[in-house]
Amino acid sequence: MKLRIFTSALILMTILGFSGCRKRAEAPKADPLLSAYDSEPDWSDATRVLPLSYQQAQGKRVFYQQCVWCHADSTPAGPSNRSNLTPVPPLLNDGATLNAESDEFMQNIITLGGSALGKSAMMPPYGRVLSAEEIGSVIAFARAIAQPPYKPPARPASANIAK
Amino acid sequence: MSAEEMGKVTNRTRLVFAISSVVFLAVLAISPFKDFRREWKQYKRSYLRYAQGRPDTKKLVADYRPDIDQIWLPAMNNVVDRCTTCHQGITQASLADPSVIQPFRAHPPIPHNVRDWGCTVCHRGQGPATEVAEAHESTLAWEQPILPTRFIQASCGTCHHADLPQTPQLTRGRQLLAELNCQGCHRLPGIERPAMLGPDLTNVGTKLTREWIYKWLKEPRTTLDKDGNVTVNGYETEEEPRMPKFRLSETELRGLSAYLSVQKAKAFTPYKIDARVVAAWSKNPELISQGELRFRQMFCSTCHSLAVTRAGETKLIGGDIGPELTKVGSKVKPEWLVNWLRDPQGYLPHTTMPRYGWSDEDLYKVTQYIASKLTDSDLLTTVPQLGQPTEEEIKLGDRLFLEKGCASCHSIDGLNPQKDFGPDLSAIGGKNASELEFGASKIPHSLVAYIQAKLQDPVSVNAAARMPQYNWNQADLDAITTALLSLKGAPATSALQNLVVPRKEVGFHPTGAFAEVYERYKCYTCHKFNGFGGDLAPDLTYEGSRAQRQWIVDFLKNPQTLRPTLILRMPQLNMSDKDAATLADYMSMVLQHPAANPAAVDSKQFTPAVAALGKQLYEVKFQCQSCHTIGGTGGYVGPNLNNAGGWLTAAWIEAWLKNPQALVPSTIEPRRNFTDAEVNALTAYLMTLRQSIKPQKTASAAPPRASAQGAGR
Repeated sequence: MKLRIFTSALILMTILGFSGCRKRAEAPKADPLLSAYDSEPDWSDATRVLPLSYQQAQGKRVFYQQCVWCHADSTPAGPSNRSNLTPVPPLLNDGATLNAESDEFMQNIITLGGSALGKSAMMPPYGRVLSAEEIGSVIAFARAIAQPPYKPPARPASANIAK
Repeated sequence: MSAEEMGKVTNRTRLVFAISSVVFLAVLAISPFKDFRREWKQYKRSYLRYAQGRPDTKKLVADYRPDIDQIWLPAMNNVVDRCTTCHQGITQASLADPSVIQPFRAHPPIPHNVRDWGCTVCHRGQGPATEVAEAHESTLAWEQPILPTRFIQASCGTCHHADLPQTPQLTRGRQLLAELNCQGCHRLPGIERPAMLGPDLTNVGTKLTREWIYKWLKEPRTTLDKDGNVTVNGYETEEEPRMPKFRLSETELRGLSAYLSVQKAKAFTPYKIDARVVAAWSKNPELISQGELRFRQMFCSTCHSLAVTRAGETKLIGGDIGPELTKVGSKVKPEWLVNWLRDPQGYLPHTTMPRYGWSDEDLYKVTQYIASKLTDSDLLTTVPQLGQPTEEEIKLGDRLFLEKGCASCHSIDGLNPQKDFGPDLSAIGGKNASELEFGASKIPHSLVAYIQAKLQDPVSVNAAARMPQYNWNQADLDAITTALLSLKGAPATSALQNLVVPRKEVGFHPTGAFAEVYERYKCYTCHKFNGFGGDLAPDLTYEGSRAQRQWIVDFLKNPQTLRPTLILRMPQLNMSDKDAATLADYMSMVLQHPAANPAAVDSKQFTPAVAALGKQLYEVKFQCQSCHTIGGTGGYVGPNLNNAGGWLTAAWIEAWLKNPQALVPSTIEPRRNFTDAEVNALTAYLMTLRQSIKPQKTASAAPPRASAQGAGR
C-alpha cells in the first residue's frame, strides 16, 4: 500500500514537473496606432491617421521645424511659401514624385541643396544645420506619410549597408 | 524481521527498485529539460533561427553567445541589466524595421549608448530578471514595472532638466504644471514659484462686487468642458485655465465672497477725467465707436482676447497674456477701471501690464467703450441676493481662505502665499504602487493608473481630496503624467547625480534709467532678455548688434512688422522721445553679441560694383528670394528685406551669413558655406536696400491700419 502511494506520488511529481514547461500564450495582435510612438494625420485623407515609429517621429519634428514652410500647403504660421516658388516644390507626402527617388538621393539633396544635384537652387543645403541622422529621419517620415504609399525597393537598403 | 530476511532480495523488491529507478531517471531528466526550455534560452535559439532566415546572417550572429548577456554598471546605481539576453538585435541597424518581431527589433537611434547606460535607467522594469513577466511586470518583490512607451519621455526628464526638442510631450507636461500653477500647492522641483500665482487680493474689494466674486468662485470663468476644451465665458480658447474649479457649498460661497468683498486695505481715490473732455465727448454719438477704435489701435488684443462672432461661429480672438475681456464691463467697477488703466502697478505691483501714456481723451473713450460694450446683462442673474456681508460670513470666509488652499496662490495684505499646502511631488515618479492610496476606486494598482485617476477626478482615489477639479483631453493628461513620472527625486548615487544637468537660473535685472523705462513698459512681458521674459515677441538679447540705433528709435515710436506671416502686435505705447532714446541707447551699448564686430567691417569695400555682384548672388546663385521678400516678390519664410540697409547693421549681416545659428540658435535659416567674398558682396547688396519710414507725429493722427482692424492676430 505504502509503495503504491510512493509510486503515484513520484508519477504525480513528474507530471507536475513537465507541466511547468507549458508554452506562454501569445499576446493578441493590437491596433498599430496603440503601440506607435507618434502619429500623423494622412494629408490626403483626413479620416486616416498614420502610425509613426520613433525615428519617423523625430523626422516629423525636424520637418515641422525646417521643411514645412515650403513642402506643405499649410504651415504653423498660416500661409505656405510653396506658391511663391518656381519650380513648385513637391509636398512631402507626394509619393508619385518622391517614391521614385532613392533614400541616397534624398539624403544628398537635403544635405547639399538643389543646385549641387542639378535641381533648383531654391532648395538650400541643410548639411551644416542638420545631422545625417536627422536628415535620415526626415526621409523616414516622408516615406511613412507618402501617398500612394512608399514600397521599399525589392532588396532592402539596410541589407546593402550590411554587406 | 530477522537479519536474514532483511538481506533477502525478493522479486517484489526488485520490481520496486526497477520502477523507482525509472522514475528517478525521469525526474532527473526533467531538470536539464527544464533548463533547456528556460524562457531566455528559447529566445536565444529563436534569434539564431531568425537570423538564419535573413540575408545578413553573418553580421547578425557575429557576437552571439549562448549564455546570459548582462550589462553591469557599478558606477551607475549598480545597474545589472540582462535585457539584452533576449533583446539581442538592439544594436543591429538592419533590424530597425517595425516588421521585425520583438524581442529582436533594433533600438531606435538615441543619443545614449546602451552599453554605457543600460536599459532600466530609462525603461524601468527589473534588470536582473531572466523571465519575461518578472522583467516587465510588477511582482510582489519588484514594484517598478516597465514604463509604457507612451510615457518614455519621462525618463529623459529625470536627468535632463532643461527642455529637449526631442521630448515635446514632456515639455508640454512641464508647461502645464507651471501654467496651471500646480506649484501653488505642491512642491515640484525645477519649477519656480512665480511672484504672482493668482492675483494679490489685498484691495480686491475696490475692484469687484460681492456678487461677481460669488459667481466666479462657483464657476471660474476659465474652465475646461467635459471634452477637454478650454472655455472662457463659454467660448473655446487655447488659454490654460488658471483658476481651477473648487467644490464649494452655498455657505462656503457666501462666506468667501463676503470676506473678499471687504478687502480694501489701501485708500482708493478715483481719478477725475478732465471735465472739458467729458463735456466734449459725453453727448457725441461717435463716443463708443471711437473708443473701440482706440482700443484696437492700442493693440489691447496682443495680450487680451475678445469673443468675436463670424459666420455664426463665436471664437475668442486675441492674446492670452492678460485676461479675456469680453464681459469685463460687467465685472469691474467703472471708477476702478480708470485708475487701473492709468497706473496698473498702483493696484497690483507685480502685474505685467505696461503703463501706457494715455491722454484723458483716450482714457475716457476707451473706458466708456469697455463699460458699455464689453458687458453681459445676464452674467449675474443666477447669483442670489447676497446683501451686506455679515460678521459671521466674513469670519467663515477668513477661515476658508486658508483651509481651501486659496492662500496657496493668492496673498492678502502683504502675507506671502503659503507653500506646500498639498503633498510634495518631488519624488512622485518613483513611487511604488504599495505606497499609494487607492481608496475605493477599482483602477489597476499601478503608479500610472493612480496618477491619471487622481488628475481626472481627485476624489475618485481619496474622498477627502482638497485638490480642485480639472478636465483634460487625453494628450494633455498623458503629457502631465509624463512630466510627473519624470520626477523621481534625487538619484541614489553620486554617479547619476553628476549627470543631472541643473536647470539654468535665469534673470535679467538692469539698473539705471533703462531699468525704469523697461519696468514702465514691461518689455519683458513679451520679449526675452538674456533668457528672461516672454515668448510672444522676438528675443532682444542681442538687439543692439542686430539693429541700427535710429531704426530702434523709429520702431519704438511707430512699431511695424517685418515678417510677412506675422500680424503686428506690438502696441503703440505713446513713448516719449526721451524714453525711446533711453531704450535705444541701452540696447546699442549693452545688448551686443560678440560675433558681430562692427570694427571688423570695412564699409569702404561696399562699392556699387560689389553690391551688384551681391544682387547677382542673391537672385541667381543662392536664390534667397525663395524665403525673403524684397519689394513685393519673394517668400514668406524669412523677414522682408525691403529696408535691410536701414534696419540691420553690416556687422550683424556678415556674422549672420557666416553662421546664423551662432547668433540665434533656433533660427531655421540654413547655415551656408559662403566664401568671405560672397559674404562681403551679399552684405554690400543688402546695405543698399532702403525704404524710408516716416515716424508718426502724434498717436491720435495714426491712420487705422489694415492689421489693426482684425482685432489682433
